[in-house]
Amino acid sequence: MNVRRVSAVVLKESREILRDPITVGVSLLMPLVMLFLFGYAISLDVRHAALGVWDGDATPASRELVEALTGNEYFRLTAHYGSLHDLEQSLQRSEADLVLVIPPGFAADLVRGARPEVQVLVDGTYSATALLVSGFARAIIAGYRQSGRPQLLHLETRVWYNPSLNSANYVVPGLYAVILLAFPPLLTALGIVREKETGTIQSIFASPLTAAEFITGKLVPYSLIAFLQMVMVIAVGYAWFGVPFEGSLPFLLAAGLIYVLCTVGIGLLVSTVTRTQLVAMLLALIVTLMPSFLFSGLLFPIFTMPELLQLYTNVFPGRYFVDISRGVALKGAGLEILGFEVALLALYTLAVFLLAVWRLKKKVA
Amino acid sequence: MRLASLLVKELTQFLRDRVILLLILWLYTVEVVLCAYALGLDLRHLPLAVLDQDRTPMSRALVDGLTRGGAFDLVGHPADMRRAEEWLLQGRARAVLVIPPRFMQSLLRADAPDLQVLLDGSNANTAATARNYILQALQHLQSETGAGPPVEALVRVWYNPDLTNTRFIVLSMIALAALMVGVIHPAASIVREKEVGTIEQLRVTPIRTAELFLAKTLPTLAIGVLSVFPSLLIVWWFGVPLRGSLALFLLLTGLFLLSAIGIGVLIAAVCRTLQQALLLAFFGLFPIMFLSGTLAPIASMPGFLQTLSLGSPLRYYMDVILGIFLKGVGIEVLWPQALALAGIGALFFGLAALVFHRQQP
Repeated sequence: MNVRRVSAVVLKESREILRDPITVGVSLLMPLVMLFLFGYAISLDVRHAALGVWDGDATPASRELVEALTGNEYFRLTAHYGSLHDLEQSLQRSEADLVLVIPPGFAADLVRGARPEVQVLVDGTYSATALLVSGFARAIIAGYRQSGRPQLLHLETRVWYNPSLNSANYVVPGLYAVILLAFPPLLTALGIVREKETGTIQSIFASPLTAAEFITGKLVPYSLIAFLQMVMVIAVGYAWFGVPFEGSLPFLLAAGLIYVLCTVGIGLLVSTVTRTQLVAMLLALIVTLMPSFLFSGLLFPIFTMPELLQLYTNVFPGRYFVDISRGVALKGAGLEILGFEVALLALYTLAVFLLAVWRLKKKVA
Repeated sequence: MRLASLLVKELTQFLRDRVILLLILWLYTVEVVLCAYALGLDLRHLPLAVLDQDRTPMSRALVDGLTRGGAFDLVGHPADMRRAEEWLLQGRARAVLVIPPRFMQSLLRADAPDLQVLLDGSNANTAATARNYILQALQHLQSETGAGPPVEALVRVWYNPDLTNTRFIVLSMIALAALMVGVIHPAASIVREKEVGTIEQLRVTPIRTAELFLAKTLPTLAIGVLSVFPSLLIVWWFGVPLRGSLALFLLLTGLFLLSAIGIGVLIAAVCRTLQQALLLAFFGLFPIMFLSGTLAPIASMPGFLQTLSLGSPLRYYMDVILGIFLKGVGIEVLWPQALALAGIGALFFGLAALVFHRQQP
């Protein structure tokens, strides 16, 4: 490998990137936009859910129950229904997220100690919201007229690593992994396939440049961009979102470097199997973007998935780095705990490059 | 006539590329199935470690009650607190239940013994759900001993009775696939003509911009709507009911695709090279996806993002697809969404036409 020739390719590629305002803009803005969207938009907290009431009892006791539900920030009262038909319509039109149905005779049953039943009808279309909303309603109703009664048990819960259960605290460190898997592979793949599609790769093959030199020259600028993106996202996550950073920054950056090489390597691999940029993009979407969102444990924990799909998640490197970045940022873990993940990542990177080289060799031969 | 020959050219180009068809089909089918199986919101198999300092039938009954439903998997009994903390740090356990010594004794004497739960908060949602589960399990234990609450809440979930995430995921993945194909494909096919230079040839022919747009739009529209049919099989496989009208669904899917294609065409108008177009399309997809309610409920977002989400066509389409499939509503409920989709589509096509005209020498 000739250093002079490699640096010539690096220079050419960097110039091409810098000259194109859209590519530069997207590369620098995209991770930040993603960070902000994730940090603010991905929150499963529910506040002020719309509660409709059908009160068949209309007594002070039933009103007290409604007040117990609406007297906090979880629910707001939207409507009192006159008929069951109105109630149905309001759920269907999504005007109410849930409806409380208080049967006639509620107060009388309560006085007799007959434990009256109230119904809570929940709109289940947005299952995430429905799950939370029904949990809140159940807890509040269970606590109705409960104060002063003796407790059987006393439960103390302590949450570690993220005591406020703030969703930004767990989403943002996971994002370091996702942003890097979403973007550098695409950039790299497009950078190489572009030359194939426009035919300029022929003139490169005709030059004294070897395939290895060409690839190295291509990968260096994209790795730099990827690394820059990572540093930027970590800095903004820390400074703007106030995400804790318990562990060692050098360790995270070192692991990040392996990961960056890995993601760029995936882009290279994609470029070796595709001929047009459109296909490269769709393929990158399927092998990097979707799994990095959905199968990395970022939002949906991996241990809840069926066994077979847990195996599928192993195919993508995102999950290892999600564990690493969350472990370092939130738990303050170091190499002694995350050694296995780092080793897997390194192995994975090596495998991706070997595969890409093998595909390239086959092509040239 | 001009339009017809242009259409034939576009369709031939589209159908010739088997790989793209395959990838589109993958997005509409395999990806949907994978997600439907994998992505659950309910708590399953959370690794739970139990530090049982009591070791009585009652403490074991408590642990049994927690692990029976499949929400928690018992991963072991750490020897002491230090070991339990280590497991939490390594991720071997995500929750630790600490049962104090003499738990049974104080429970029988109604002394309200202290139970302790340590949760790994590094996944906040899971931790919150786990806490709710444990609280519910304890409430259950309490009501079994006769100290239940005075009012019984009977929760019934409509439109999705077992409250699984599957229906929602299946439908939102189909919507996502339609969005991606709708935006990316027309953008790529128009810019390709620009980059290769064939657009100049088209411009010297009598073909007008509107005709070019139409010819670029219709194949994607057709494929986008047709691809819904394999997805319908998957929908049926997962037992998602189709309560509303299929015709209305197809019609509104077409409208949604048009608005997505409008975005693609606008991107194509702005960009010069394919690389730019693809990157920009990628960039544009994110806000549309995020601000649509597919990944997280819109109601949970801060106010300014809720306002921004009004510009995302996917938001309206989610209402459409969930409404028609799960609630069985018709156009009398969905007309605002249809109107919004049409408006967004018209806006983007209009902008694109404007940009194209200004580029003409």
